[in-house]
Amino acid sequence: MGVAFVAHCLLNQNSKVGDGAHCAGVYSPVIDTLRDKGWRIEQMPCPELAFTGLNRFWAVKEQLDTAAYRRHCERLAEAVAAAIGVRVGQGEDVVLVGVQGSPSMGVTVTSSDPLRGGRPEWPDGTAEHTSGEGIFIEEIRKALARRGINFPRVTGETHALAGHDEATQRAEIESVLAGGSGGRPPGPARTTREG
Amino acid sequence: MKADERSFRIALVADRYVNPQPGGPDAVAVAAQAGWGVMQLPPDDYPPEVAGPLLAEVAEQVEEFSRHGYAFVLVGGHPGLAEALARVGVAVPDQITPATGVELKEFLDRRPASAAGWDASQIPG
Repeated sequence: MGVAFVAHCLLNQNSKVGDGAHCAGVYSPVIDTLRDKGWRIEQMPCPELAFTGLNRFWAVKEQLDTAAYRRHCERLAEAVAAAIGVRVGQGEDVVLVGVQGSPSMGVTVTSSDPLRGGRPEWPDGTAEHTSGEGIFIEEIRKALARRGINFPRVTGETHALAGHDEATQRAEIESVLAGGSGGRPPGPARTTREG
Repeated sequence: MKADERSFRIALVADRYVNPQPGGPDAVAVAAQAGWGVMQLPPDDYPPEVAGPLLAEVAEQVEEFSRHGYAFVLVGGHPGLAEALARVGVAVPDQITPATGVELKEFLDRRPASAAGWDASQIPG
């Protein structure tokens, strides 16, 4: 047991990009799993909400990856890294719980399409999920490294991935909480983006 | 596409109600039941240099939600929250320091509907 630093939207689906809220507020399938296992919850800020707003379009990583957004994420990541540093200093086990497929919060799966831009229309079925971290997670990794703190184990909510299954999601989270490396390879093409 | 299920209602919640002691009011469980989102305030054991930036980010996000008419309440509190909200021009929401989960649930259920919502031009799909 330890401290789970969770993506903002797992406690507050109101922060999701339009059409992305899976429930009214608290995404219980993940939060309940963490609490059932005795982990403390600490909520990270949503990097996209304050920067691109509530009426933002769905986006892939390349669309968000600007110098200004990086600076914004770096500022937030410094705040999160300082909090993680407190818990690590207390000897707590720490995990990061992100949002798989997100351009910002993906922990092992993000979304990518270097050609996407302009008028926001694209064919259904466009492949975009790819192995990798979202921008905010990358900035948290850098901020922890600057503090000499090891990057924690990671896991994520998997709604955006093809073949999402709550039982599988719970098993993956429990595996990471128990000390496993977790993670999941990218699923087949699907046009869902989650902020 | 399926409908977006957000509630447009958010509770700012002190850490002790997000990670309650055994038998204490559990704001996350109540919020999940009542259909409210949760924005967690920094834990009380963080030093000011850690809590301050986290509080500033909470305030900035409250500002964005407030610009769109989302409803807020405050469950518990945190030193410096009022000042952080004031810096972004947002008033401290109606507050409760519940002794029980039932008390919190009744408080949330009595709140008026949010002014925010998807109008016809915003409904995705």
